[in-house]
Amino acid sequence: MTPFLVRRTAHGLVVVAGVVILTFVIARVVPGDPASSWVGPHASAAQLRAARHTLGLDRPLPVQIWRYFRGVVTGDWGVAITTHRPVLSDLGTRAPASLELVGAALLLALAAGVPAGLLAARWRGAAPDLLVRLAAVFGVSMPSFWFALILQLVFFQRLHLLPVSGQYDPALDTTHPLSTHVHMPLVDSLVSGNWPVFTSALTHLVLPAIVVAAYPGGIIARMVRAAVLDTLGEDHVRMVRALGFAERTVFARYALKPALNPVVSVTALVFAYSLANTFLVEAIFDWGGLGSYAAAAIQSLDTPAIVGVTLFIALVYVAANLAVDIAQAALDPRIKLR
Amino acid sequence: MRLARLTALAACAAVVLSALAASSVTAAGTPQTFAYVTPTQVMIGWDPSSSYSNEIIAMSDMYETLTHYNPATKKAEPDLAQSFKSNKAATVWTFTLRHGVTFHTGRPLTAQAAKAAIERTIQLKQGAAYIWDPVKSISAPSTYTLVFHLKYPAPLDLNASADYAAYIFDTKAAPAGTSLAAWFAQGHDAGTGPYTVDYWHKGQEVELRLKQYPQYWRGWNGSHYQAIEYWVVPSVTTAAQLQRAGKVTFVERLNPQLWASFKSSSTVQTTAAPSWQNLLALLNTKSGPLADKTVRQAISYAVDYNGIIAALKGDSVRQIGVVPPGLWGHFDALPGQYDTNLAKATSLLKSAGYGPGGKKLSLVLTHVPGDSDEDLVSTLIKSELAPLNIDVQIESMAWPTQWAKAKSPNLSKRQDIFLFYWWPDYADPYSWFVNIFKSEKTPYYNLCYYSNSTLDKQMTQAEQLAATNRARATSLYKSMQAALLRDAPVIPLYVQQYQRTMQKGVSGYVDNPAYPNVVYVYDLKPAA
Repeated sequence: MTPFLVRRTAHGLVVVAGVVILTFVIARVVPGDPASSWVGPHASAAQLRAARHTLGLDRPLPVQIWRYFRGVVTGDWGVAITTHRPVLSDLGTRAPASLELVGAALLLALAAGVPAGLLAARWRGAAPDLLVRLAAVFGVSMPSFWFALILQLVFFQRLHLLPVSGQYDPALDTTHPLSTHVHMPLVDSLVSGNWPVFTSALTHLVLPAIVVAAYPGGIIARMVRAAVLDTLGEDHVRMVRALGFAERTVFARYALKPALNPVVSVTALVFAYSLANTFLVEAIFDWGGLGSYAAAAIQSLDTPAIVGVTLFIALVYVAANLAVDIAQAALDPRIKLR
Repeated sequence: MRLARLTALAACAAVVLSALAASSVTAAGTPQTFAYVTPTQVMIGWDPSSSYSNEIIAMSDMYETLTHYNPATKKAEPDLAQSFKSNKAATVWTFTLRHGVTFHTGRPLTAQAAKAAIERTIQLKQGAAYIWDPVKSISAPSTYTLVFHLKYPAPLDLNASADYAAYIFDTKAAPAGTSLAAWFAQGHDAGTGPYTVDYWHKGQEVELRLKQYPQYWRGWNGSHYQAIEYWVVPSVTTAAQLQRAGKVTFVERLNPQLWASFKSSSTVQTTAAPSWQNLLALLNTKSGPLADKTVRQAISYAVDYNGIIAALKGDSVRQIGVVPPGLWGHFDALPGQYDTNLAKATSLLKSAGYGPGGKKLSLVLTHVPGDSDEDLVSTLIKSELAPLNIDVQIESMAWPTQWAKAKSPNLSKRQDIFLFYWWPDYADPYSWFVNIFKSEKTPYYNLCYYSNSTLDKQMTQAEQLAATNRARATSLYKSMQAALLRDAPVIPLYVQQYQRTMQKGVSGYVDNPAYPNVVYVYDLKPAA
């Protein structure tokens, strides 16, 4: 397994380097001077020149790329043009927020999607199947911003049941200050035993997590249903049934396990994808994550921030794919890691 | 059995969650905290010398300036300086500072401290530091007397009231071994204002909280807010819901529809006031079809000014000339001003060979994305000009790209119409003229590529007259704006109108266009 991990990590790093170079080149090929966003709207020509020099934009592109890679290795990912802060510092606060949201959403999606898919497969063609398929189509096709607004309207405005935005109630900052460890309020409050913040963070997470979970939840439910139905037609399941095993055992032990392979694969990919693609949800729920950061960076041609986010997402993709390979080998004895 | 267990478990979870949720929803902020909602990150810069962005909304409650512009009197009035005067030539300005003012570091405000702060801003040459360009030297002949010697006559009372780069701060605030810039960047302040930093949570919904500075020179007698929270809420619908639920005190900007929905609210008040930010359509006077003055005039007549204002539903007011209302140099009517007149537009186009039945006129209009008002105005201009056989191609692009295209050395690659906002950094119409209309060999902000040597001379004259004879300067600005109308290098489309919502019962709020989006929370009286 170790040679496999080393080889895959090396391949992954080559992919990441390629993605970074491509992103860097594309961001710099677009006409426009990112320094103009740095200096502000009324800056003088001298200020613009000084900013170009400070940001290293007056150097040839290959030199900029080389300096960037050298910086990445030493922990200097550049300074973001929109926030005027080190990109790594920005990612340090933004990425945990996204990881918390997307992580919670995927747990929710798995918790709902897997049983729903099983239910649909168990009663194929009957009412539960129809309901699950309808819910899955709804989850996949409902625009996230619209779903978010509806949930806000119902659970905050009408029922006064759940908070409308933010990661926890800011009033608690004065009464129960939160000590930050990993920039995830839920984890930080749990670690420090700050229960008022923990309960507040938990309730603030519910609505955005449901919205983000809708898409992967729908996909997972449909995938589990299809995979389980496929597996049910296979010889080993027919044999198990012929041996008189209970239907519950047939589904849980012999049909679901092999069917989980594609689910694991899609979950990992959706996780990496969602990290930077939840910017509408983040905007609506004031969730200071990577998506809104990336959107703002693109609007102002903020090359260091764009490349920083790309690098981070590429690393997550590579790590997620590696994790999928390992998980698949654990789930399916036919797969060997060589 | 299994299903029953699952159902019971789900029910328990729902009950627990509801209980937690209810406790979270009802936990509102204290009534003595002013919660300000803004759509974008607040603290982009922390350094009072170089800050030049949205942080103004918080910095203005932490820092003060020598003078403060009053839009009602259209004059700069004493702030940290209790009085100021200049010599007749307006080349020497003397400011007498208030006694008993201290910085948040505890050190007293003296002329030496103020001199050090301004000199640091000048040396850094960042942000709006150019406001001190006229200054040759600064001296502090006594503890409370600050004297500026200028290179040329300038209205330093106005410059000193600027929204950026005019803050007075303690240059000795940083601990030994730490640079002042690095210390500021950690989220510290060193002003004299009523509030000081309590905490800064970058990237969070409540990004910044300020608390009262107990030794504030104006004192804390009477009713004042104890703290200010700056909430970053990008979605206007979420902002509206927070306002409706009483979770926040003030929303900087909603869309016109949401803002209007609060007009009948029993818990929320609405305010509207014109800003100094106007949307200008700069016409390419150097190349393409708009190089012909007749065509530019025709377009100026073809635009439906009132239609645009109506479509923006109270988000804007009509702009006559380029100087916005509330700023000296503005006139409600100007000779040669354009009102919509399609017959005149058609006739002018015809004389240039265009218009209905003539050659088709194709124009490229550029603007930045993400501003719904610009989107709407671009679409309206396109539809208004279409019946006149003018095809407007709208190109929406990020500001760096829009600016780069406008400055392209290849004239054929430049746009015909450049939409953008302009506002001054201090209360002087000079900002529009020197930046947008002064002749430039290589275009920078003069993106209508306009060149008029007479106007160039008048600008210099007006700048100096602003310091020595403001009445004459005002009159000069009138004739300069009339000249612009004649040559039509620009179509002033509208002045943006601030539409705010605020918790009912809060009193003392004044929208000062010289300090965009700033709420001077010290001046407010909280709701009972």
